[in-house]
Amino acid sequence: MSATLLRKRLFAVLMAIAFLFLAIFARFFIVQVIDGATLRSRAVEQWTREIPIIAERGEIVDCNGTVLAENDASYSVFARPNAIEDKLYTAQTLASVLSLDAEQLYARLTGKRVSEVTVARHITKDKTTLIESFDLPGVYYSRDNTRVYPYGEILSRVLGFTSTDGLGLTGLEKYYDKYLAGKDGEIAYPTDLVGAEIDGVAVYYPATDGLNVRLTIDYGIQALAESAVRKLYEEYSPVNAQVLVLDPDTFGILAMAEYPSYDLNDVPREDSEKLNALSRNNLVSDIYEPGSTFKIVTAAANIEEYLRGNPAAYSLQYRFSSSRTRTVDSTTIKCWSTHANGKHSNQTLAEALNNSCNPCFTDIAMALGTETFYDYLELFNFGKPTGIDFSGEAQGMLVTESAVRGCDLARIGFGQTVAVTALQLACAGAAAVNGGYYYQPRLVQEIYSSDGTIREELPAVLKNRTISEEASKILASLLEGVVANGSGSKAYIEGYRVGGKTGTAQKFENGAIAQGKYVSSFLGFFPANDPQYLALVIVDEPQGAYYGSVVSAPAAGDIFRGIIELKGIAPYET
Amino acid sequence: MRSVPLPEATIERTRDIRRRGEIGILAVTVALAAFGVLMVYSASYYSAQEQTGDAFFFMKKQLIGFVLGSVAMVAAAKFPYRKLIKLKWPALIVSVVLLAAVFIPGIGVENYGATRWIGIGPITIQPSEISKYGFVVFASAYCSEKPERMRTFVGMLPVLAAGGGICLLIIAEPNMSVTMCTGMIMLAMLFLGGAKIKHMIVLLLPLAALVPVLIIMEPYRLQRLYAFLDPWSSPQGEGYQLIQSLYALGNGGWFGTGLFQSIQKYRYLPFAESDFILAVIGEEFGFIGVVVLFSAFGLLIYFGIRTAAKSRDVFGFMLASGITAAIAIQASINALVVSGSIPPTGLPLPLISAGNTSLLFTMAALGVLYNISCRARR
Repeated sequence: MSATLLRKRLFAVLMAIAFLFLAIFARFFIVQVIDGATLRSRAVEQWTREIPIIAERGEIVDCNGTVLAENDASYSVFARPNAIEDKLYTAQTLASVLSLDAEQLYARLTGKRVSEVTVARHITKDKTTLIESFDLPGVYYSRDNTRVYPYGEILSRVLGFTSTDGLGLTGLEKYYDKYLAGKDGEIAYPTDLVGAEIDGVAVYYPATDGLNVRLTIDYGIQALAESAVRKLYEEYSPVNAQVLVLDPDTFGILAMAEYPSYDLNDVPREDSEKLNALSRNNLVSDIYEPGSTFKIVTAAANIEEYLRGNPAAYSLQYRFSSSRTRTVDSTTIKCWSTHANGKHSNQTLAEALNNSCNPCFTDIAMALGTETFYDYLELFNFGKPTGIDFSGEAQGMLVTESAVRGCDLARIGFGQTVAVTALQLACAGAAAVNGGYYYQPRLVQEIYSSDGTIREELPAVLKNRTISEEASKILASLLEGVVANGSGSKAYIEGYRVGGKTGTAQKFENGAIAQGKYVSSFLGFFPANDPQYLALVIVDEPQGAYYGSVVSAPAAGDIFRGIIELKGIAPYET
Repeated sequence: MRSVPLPEATIERTRDIRRRGEIGILAVTVALAAFGVLMVYSASYYSAQEQTGDAFFFMKKQLIGFVLGSVAMVAAAKFPYRKLIKLKWPALIVSVVLLAAVFIPGIGVENYGATRWIGIGPITIQPSEISKYGFVVFASAYCSEKPERMRTFVGMLPVLAAGGGICLLIIAEPNMSVTMCTGMIMLAMLFLGGAKIKHMIVLLLPLAALVPVLIIMEPYRLQRLYAFLDPWSSPQGEGYQLIQSLYALGNGGWFGTGLFQSIQKYRYLPFAESDFILAVIGEEFGFIGVVVLFSAFGLLIYFGIRTAAKSRDVFGFMLASGITAAIAIQASINALVVSGSIPPTGLPLPLISAGNTSLLFTMAALGVLYNISCRARR
């Protein structure tokens, strides 16, 4: 046993320890210096608890800046049980200020496994200030949004509403949610493991407020439409009454009204069936058999074909057969009128429109033939969605060209065996009288931020031409005649050139005509020489009267009169 | 290091003159222990306030340990270390008895699923912290009596038996990490005592084979092993502690967040004031702080090795190197655990971590080391 061996071994131990220490230093260098930033960023997440700062939801305004949807400043109250010192006192205090059940709140505050409790939402500033005066530890506030619709029932089916969390649920609130919503921020408070607040600096991440949405809707015209549908509803007790007002030059929707309506500030959230029915925008989502208003399209097709020299098309001087009936594919088609006492005899196209004589339009459809007539249905975009910026658009029902029978075509000519949305019909009407331009209809024209900067513009988009300028002009003047001399006379306004077409369609239920159930409509526009406003009035199952000329035309007249007053439009001068 | 033969103990005995020893041992020990008190306070004041209502709760206890430890260190420094030879058997017997007492119901104190403490009135002691040094005394005495017998297989068996018995008692608590630590001290003592390498290999092989068995015996060890291999797979379960330790170290970066500025001590890091105090130190003083702290340990170890090298007898050599090895091994294992280099185990950082038994006996052992240095050659 030599001392040298022991010394060597001692030296070996020293070396081993030195090596171990160097390895330790290397390891700590890796963890602390090289991986430090990564580890810290992961750790930061656990060191804080966040109180959300709700982004302010964007406003919805009409084309003139009238605010249709905005926010009331309100607050949310949160509690973090682990940070509360006296839970009973806190529960009682909060309950008394916020009119809550103290016992229930106390149970929630003492509940296990919950790090944060939402005590109340949409609290007024006054109540928040009052709570603040108690200086309760573990109780936090954050700005919240309470959506407010200054005009309540107006445009309710179009605007839609939000959830209590401020999420767009229906209508434009839903469709444009990504712009309106904004991005929530938060305040990150440093806390210990269980969420008790500790000394340190709270970090504030600001919210990005939502963008504002400017509609094509004109509040003034919307108000006129709203009062028209209300009046129609009161007068005829229909299932509902609807009005759509369109700018024929851009297809910007100026008004979309429907009654019954509901108050957006008092949404019947608990009755989901009722809510579904009331929040549905029937002008876009419902289809119906249009009846005689569809004759505008048939007439447009005929005039255009005639001008193009199609020998099958009828000239404006051509006189249609006076017979009440036509027989196609061994089916007999009758006019709504008895043709007795010389009525509906020797009519020109103008007179056929004035009288809304069904057989004449059967003649046109049959004369043009399936191929040509369907070309026009295609140009007027029937059987497909218009592409409006709104969810849930129906595309209507159109018998496919390959499957259509003669008797179908004969009826489509005067608006039967075809189903359209009110929007489709209004757009087709506009594209027939505005010189033949079919635009994509829209409700929103621009997105802008609170400082007024325009973030996105949604301009009028021309989809296709329908008929020539000349054909359109002729059609408009014929339709002016319908109001001046024919079935649309109740929409006539002295000194103004109003054009239009009435429609009275029988409703089908379970494949059979429903006796006594009609849809009365009127599609009108003015001035006829350069249409600026187009209105479609639809009354579903009016009681008492049911002719479109009686029920719907006067409403369109009222709306036009209102617009003339509102916009100060001067009368027509010869 | 000079290759001067170690003088025989018999010669040394005639020149028992009191001299000034390696004063650095005492200075570094006191500095580390005082720093420990400060860090125990920093790491525990928040949780102590929350749990006991007294932010100074753990710090006060540690301060008592520091005072008692200082007294013990001074006493040990004055006590002629060679008299410890006579304590060969008592040291071993007391160690074994105390370790065994842990299993006596009413005396043993259970915590976190392991019985590692014995409680006498308000005092709890951790026998495994005592037995480490008890074993070092026994082995040193045994080796120095007849150094030649360590070269034979049979001759070294008593050291092995004593160390193995203590390890078995500790593993029964169970306490894997202290067992590992004691086992490594035992190997160091055999190695430093001059046991033949081939004998040690014969011993080590079955021991190495035993490790997987021990791991499989207790399911929690296997889980901890998995958690060590991939702590992020169970961030809320077994991996939690390691992740929190790494978060603390990562947050420290180069220079740390500053004294008292640890965030992880806000109850995120379990055992922040005891087994994982190094994580808090790493967070508050950064990588640089860890390097400085371990440099201080390194200095202490260097003093210890130098004392061993210069000691005039085999007992002094063995005792000095054994004490030094115990501190070096324990500090290293703790650092490796905290930095996620080896599976997490509960082992205090000597002189720093909260725990009075460890502090008291470590300081006393360092007092003994100082005493050896007093009698070392110049």
